[in-house]
Amino acid sequence: MRRVYNYIIGIVVGILAVAMPTNIQAADATTTAKVHWEEGIAAYENRNYKEAVEAFESIIALDEASAEVYYNLANAYFKLGQHKENAARPFSAGELGKAVLNYHRAIKLNPAMADARYNLELAVDHTNDTENIPQSFIATLWQGLRSMMTSNGWTITSIVMLAMALILVMFYLLSANILLRKVGFFVAIVLIVSFIVTSALAMSSRRALLNDDRAVVICNDTTPVHASPDSASKIIRQPSQGVTVRISRVHGDWTEISFADGEMGWIRNSNIEAV
Amino acid sequence: MCDARHGCASHIFCLITIKRPPKRLLNIGKRVIYMKLLIRLSLIFMMLTSAVTSWAQVSFTVDAPALTALGQPFRVEFTVDKEPESGSIEAPSFEGFDILAGPSVSTGHSIQFINGKQTTSYSCTYTYVLMPTAAGKYTIGAASIKVDGKRYSTKPQPIEVIAEKSNTQQNRGSNNQNPESHIGKDDILLRLKVSETELYKGESLRASLVLYTRANIDDIENFSLPAFDGFWSQELSFDNTPSREEYNGRIYETYKLTELLLSPQQTGDIIIPSASLTARAQVILQDSRGANPFFGGRQIYHVSRDLKSTPVTIHVKEFPAGAPASFNGAIGSFRLSSKMPAKEIESNSADQIEITISGGGNLKFITAPKISLPESFEQYDTKVVDNIMVNATDTSGSITYTYPFVARSAGEFTIEPICFTFFNPTTGEYQTIATEPFTITVLDDGTATTTAKAERYVGYGSIMRQLDRDIRYIHLGKLPTKAASLFVLTPLYWLIVVVIVAIFIVAYVLLSKRIRDNRNIVARRMKRADKVAIQRLRAAERYMNEGNRHAFYEEMLRALWGYISDKFNIPVSNLTKERIREELYRRNVSAAIAEQFCEIISRSEEAQYSPTTDGEMNDAYSEAVDVMSKIEGAIKR
Repeated sequence: MRRVYNYIIGIVVGILAVAMPTNIQAADATTTAKVHWEEGIAAYENRNYKEAVEAFESIIALDEASAEVYYNLANAYFKLGQHKENAARPFSAGELGKAVLNYHRAIKLNPAMADARYNLELAVDHTNDTENIPQSFIATLWQGLRSMMTSNGWTITSIVMLAMALILVMFYLLSANILLRKVGFFVAIVLIVSFIVTSALAMSSRRALLNDDRAVVICNDTTPVHASPDSASKIIRQPSQGVTVRISRVHGDWTEISFADGEMGWIRNSNIEAV
Repeated sequence: MCDARHGCASHIFCLITIKRPPKRLLNIGKRVIYMKLLIRLSLIFMMLTSAVTSWAQVSFTVDAPALTALGQPFRVEFTVDKEPESGSIEAPSFEGFDILAGPSVSTGHSIQFINGKQTTSYSCTYTYVLMPTAAGKYTIGAASIKVDGKRYSTKPQPIEVIAEKSNTQQNRGSNNQNPESHIGKDDILLRLKVSETELYKGESLRASLVLYTRANIDDIENFSLPAFDGFWSQELSFDNTPSREEYNGRIYETYKLTELLLSPQQTGDIIIPSASLTARAQVILQDSRGANPFFGGRQIYHVSRDLKSTPVTIHVKEFPAGAPASFNGAIGSFRLSSKMPAKEIESNSADQIEITISGGGNLKFITAPKISLPESFEQYDTKVVDNIMVNATDTSGSITYTYPFVARSAGEFTIEPICFTFFNPTTGEYQTIATEPFTITVLDDGTATTTAKAERYVGYGSIMRQLDRDIRYIHLGKLPTKAASLFVLTPLYWLIVVVIVAIFIVAYVLLSKRIRDNRNIVARRMKRADKVAIQRLRAAERYMNEGNRHAFYEEMLRALWGYISDKFNIPVSNLTKERIREELYRRNVSAAIAEQFCEIISRSEEAQYSPTTDGEMNDAYSEAVDVMSKIEGAIKR
């Protein structure tokens, strides 16, 4: 599905590229990004994780990021933190937080990326994050289904479903054979339902992408979370780096966040980074 | 008691009264306490003049208090257990003391028969009563005596003389008749003595509960030990002979009630609360009123005192920072010895590593040192054998850990050094002792190749173990195309949807004629015609199913005639077959259908009274349905 869509986009971009000279720059960026990509992989293979991080970060800076780039960057951060000279203090420069953040970003771009999910789970094991509030069965099912494809994947699927449904409706209308008409009728109904479901999945996925309020705690050590936006107020929690929170509002230097278990508190803006 | 047969010639009885240290038995555990203090014991020694079998050893000892108060006379006794040569005693100079009396000599001789066996004992005691002249530390020099031509001497005995504070002293001598006033506030004390007040967690200290008294105690009640919260405690066996001790400038008789070994299990200041007991003292008063000349007019009173020891604070120090990873709370001084398995063993055979930790310290609380065996070694539960003794100051002994294993695959393996770290409180440092690295060669037991066996081992019966987890590897290959922006609800998306729907609508419009025809021809008409025909022939069908031939055809004819009559609005009485053909022709129904219709009517009229089979009835029925449907279809077109 993705390939089909990318092909379509490719054509559109191609047409636009002919029309607009600015796209030549974009082509240049792609070439540079490819060089960085090769550099990053080579550095990672040589266990030079610091260089790998820099290479993958520069691809993102060039706006050429994909789920795979974020995934590789997260891996490089994780390994960089793990292989500290001082083995007693791994992730001492906030690498774990960065790794978790970039795994989230990779999964956000490609929800079907199993490797990223696996590694995220492993990275989260190093944090002191709390358990999620258990969701309803329907919600879990819906999210599981949604994460099988990207929003664009679902969009393409829904369009194909629509086209096929209309073809079968036509088939039903034109066929003289009773059996064929019956089959055509039911398949058309199934396809129309599928079209509605896949469209809804595409929309839901889009909304999750656009209204993502998640953030990851980024700091070297444990960060205090206060009861109110005031450093003199009570410290209610001390999340470690890599803890995923939800942003509910921002007030000056402070952000109100909620934890996975529903507890809320205020944290300094500099200590979190939005997914 | 004595018999002439055993050679006893004569008996001499001698009555001696001597002052002896009180004998007592303290048994805290059973809470049965017998105390008899400063009781004058009258002992009857039977003295025998008969020859005594000579003893191999002669003991000549001195008995004197180690501590005494200024102005109080005390006695020093020299005892020899074999008859000395008379007048051979050479007493020391008793420097610093005045000799009030002595030497008084008393001798005793006894013969005992136990199961027909005769034992004799002899003792000769020279007693001096001395009075200290000044406070200080003195030594009673050696006395010597000659026994059988050989000279024996006693060991010098140190004596400390102190000047007591005389606060309640005056009271004692006065003729006060209130027994309560004879036992002063400080005359009976209960003290909890600890050997250390500052130590590390896991170290041991000795705590003893001591009763200090200047009065005659004859009973102890309501004895309760404090709760040693924060300590691991163990009762110690102790010497319960009383002694004399100076406390706050006064001399007390001391009785140890219990002794414990305490080991703090937490850091910080731990307070040991008070122990308590009720002591009953005996006061003997001269009865002034009814002085009885026979019994001496003395009255014995009992005075009870509730005693409480002062709480003791123990400061438990934190271990210094920088503990090695292998440290797990062992404190003391230890040695490590190991017994490694044979250098060469066969695969699939069992062997073991033995580690013995010996020394003094908190042996009871140390945990087995960790050992890391190669992966193909199957390790079993560690066996622990300890041999720990608790003595007055510490626990010491040894613990042996046995690590059994089975080597599964052949090869050469190195067993990493086994480390044991303890904290040495005397040096204040962590000490790590380790075994030498050990190389073990596992020989193939000849049943299969190494790799095959290893695989077989992993695959058989046991679930494959997850040894460790790590993140999955990075994504390789070419740089994936930039993540596409959202497509849903974009103009392009709407364009595609609209185009698809538009294509459908255009196709629908273009094919609408065919669709309508299809719908009319195939579905609606046919269905309608069938419906009308079946309705008409419903009664006939019922008779057919019953097998009522006459009624069936009658009903068939009624339906067929009635159908045309109703359809074209002509009364049945006016209908003929010719009329039907005519009417059908007018309505564009083909002649063949009209002919078929009339033919069915004719056949039904004939069959009504002639014997026919059920099969024909069925044929006629379905033919009638078919033709009616055809007419319906033709008329509707």
